[in-house]
Amino acid sequence: MKSINIISIFFCVSIIVASCGKNDDHEKDIPAGKLILNFEHFANGNELAFDEMKYTNTAGNKYEITEIQWFVSDVTLNKNNGSQQVLDGEKFAHYIDTNIPETNRWMVADEIPTGEYTSISMTFGIKGEKNAPLMYTDPPESDMLWPINLGGDQGGYHYMKLNGFWMNKDNQREPFNFHLGVGQERDVDNNITGFIQNWFEVDLPFSAFSISANETKLVSIRMNVEKWWDQPNIYNHDDIGGKIMQNQRAMHMGIENGKSVFSIGTINSVKE
Amino acid sequence: MKRFITFGIALPAFFAFVMWACSSDNNNENLTTDTFSPTPYQIPEAKYFPKNLNIPIDNPMTVEGVELGRFLFYDGRLSGNTSKDLLMSCATCHIQENGFEVGMSHPKFINGKTFGLPSEKFPEGQPTPNYMLPLVNAVYNHNGYFWNGFIHESNDFRGNEELNIPSENDFHFKNIESVVWMSITSPHEMNSTIEKSVAAIDAIPMYKKKFKSAFGTEEVTYDRISKAIAQYVRSIVSHNSKFHKYLRQEAELTVQEKRGHDLFFSEDADCFHCHGGSVLMTTNEYFNNAKDITFDLEDRDRHSISGDAMDIGAYRAPSLINIEITAPYMHDGRFKSLDEIIGFYSEGLVYSDYVHPLMKNVRQQGVQLNDEDKDALKAFLLTLTDHELINNPQYSCPPEIKGWSGQ
Repeated sequence: MKSINIISIFFCVSIIVASCGKNDDHEKDIPAGKLILNFEHFANGNELAFDEMKYTNTAGNKYEITEIQWFVSDVTLNKNNGSQQVLDGEKFAHYIDTNIPETNRWMVADEIPTGEYTSISMTFGIKGEKNAPLMYTDPPESDMLWPINLGGDQGGYHYMKLNGFWMNKDNQREPFNFHLGVGQERDVDNNITGFIQNWFEVDLPFSAFSISANETKLVSIRMNVEKWWDQPNIYNHDDIGGKIMQNQRAMHMGIENGKSVFSIGTINSVKE
Repeated sequence: MKRFITFGIALPAFFAFVMWACSSDNNNENLTTDTFSPTPYQIPEAKYFPKNLNIPIDNPMTVEGVELGRFLFYDGRLSGNTSKDLLMSCATCHIQENGFEVGMSHPKFINGKTFGLPSEKFPEGQPTPNYMLPLVNAVYNHNGYFWNGFIHESNDFRGNEELNIPSENDFHFKNIESVVWMSITSPHEMNSTIEKSVAAIDAIPMYKKKFKSAFGTEEVTYDRISKAIAQYVRSIVSHNSKFHKYLRQEAELTVQEKRGHDLFFSEDADCFHCHGGSVLMTTNEYFNNAKDITFDLEDRDRHSISGDAMDIGAYRAPSLINIEITAPYMHDGRFKSLDEIIGFYSEGLVYSDYVHPLMKNVRQQGVQLNDEDKDALKAFLLTLTDHELINNPQYSCPPEIKGWSGQ
């Protein structure tokens, strides 16, 4: 009996090992390419010039930008048949910091099956259920903390910090922090009674692309900074002031405008 | 304002240890590698603290190295002197009970103003250019040391003839190892020479065994002195303030402390953008925080390192851990108390073209806190004191050194 049992075990193990091997081979056989996302920051159609008081928004405020730090997450590739691939192989969110040029480029870890993709969509910021306080322990991501007293347990990090200066109504150069994240519901005494998720999804126009086996596609995603203050809401720094983390009305204007902020720059095949 | 962040990949202690064992230092003929087996030292893990540690690959931490470093940190003979009137150790200024700063009540360094050992030119000692920074949680910092971030992983000054820098190890200005020998030779600190200090330590019999345990050889070199003290400094971690325990749900804040917490972590007092990004209570970034209108371009500010005009008047945002006991404040020690510093951020800001945009209340002279808010903010800041750290015998002066510490 013992020898039968040993043979049975050997037989079963052999089948398991063989089937595992087949799966590996099968996965290797799926033709796939790679994707690089490159994040650009533009203003009025040109590359953003930092620290220069050279821009004017629709409200008539002259302004300059010092730095932009933001999260994109759940980047999704959409196919004509309705299927989707969410890029979350290595991480579901990517941090972009104009002070750290390396962050502008995201070498996506996911294998991208060959074929035609009709569009790319993404989340600006991080969805509430994934935005856990103190989930990032190391900088620079940890420095994006959005305090729990302002965001609850689904608002752990800023979606974006956009810092700069504007010429105020007294013609003085004044700092502003256009910071977006979870907003607060407040009662008449200004006590917080709830939280408002402000992340939003973006369907990038003209983002169709194809990818073939072993091809690397470079997709440039562009933030057009001037549109944060343009439409549908004309955002006037003189009216709103330099800080908005505790001003849901201002953040809401920002996120409504934000849906038209992003566009595709270029899509190219590159050698990596 | 390009940040000099190096995207360091975490160097697990084990990997570093293996690499170190293969490093050239261990090829020294004096090493008895067959018996040299130091014990790896692990930085204790704490919830929410960074995982990416700044431990150079050529100086992994060992229990024996940290212990040797502690002895050397407290030994005033490191200054090359044996006369008890002329001793200076790291601990002369970096005092444990003051959060490893000099503090306000030092009998010699009045109001926290430090100076070096006397020289012909400076019989009373040359004043140290800037006031002190906390010597705590350095192992978590990858964004440079000193107020301006001069010491940085991206540096390599070895053999720089223009600056007359030797080409040997640890003259790279990359990390704490360089800070050690800089402190030994600086005229406004120990005011010694490497040869003199190495000889002074080499003459102390007890160190033979300690160097052997830490480095596999009895030979005292400046390189090993630097490495050992750097290991000890990296071991100084603070995880256990009341605030940190509150985050871990091990302690409760009082109503007033919680109010201060909420002010700190909001745009009402707006401390957290520079000081609260992580549990380190600093971003380790550099800011012009609106305290001056004019600037001396000879100052050792961030601009002196980056060359970026936007960094004029910018200095590191220091960690606020132990802020209760680390006065005076700012790089020039201009504020002597928490009340003064809270008052500054409330109604003392001044505009310059170089002010960082995070100082968004500068046109209103500050965040304009009322007295009740100021008291609450102060109460919260007091929760950042780590009493366990400042009383931990693991970091204290070894009994063998008592009398030689220069304290």
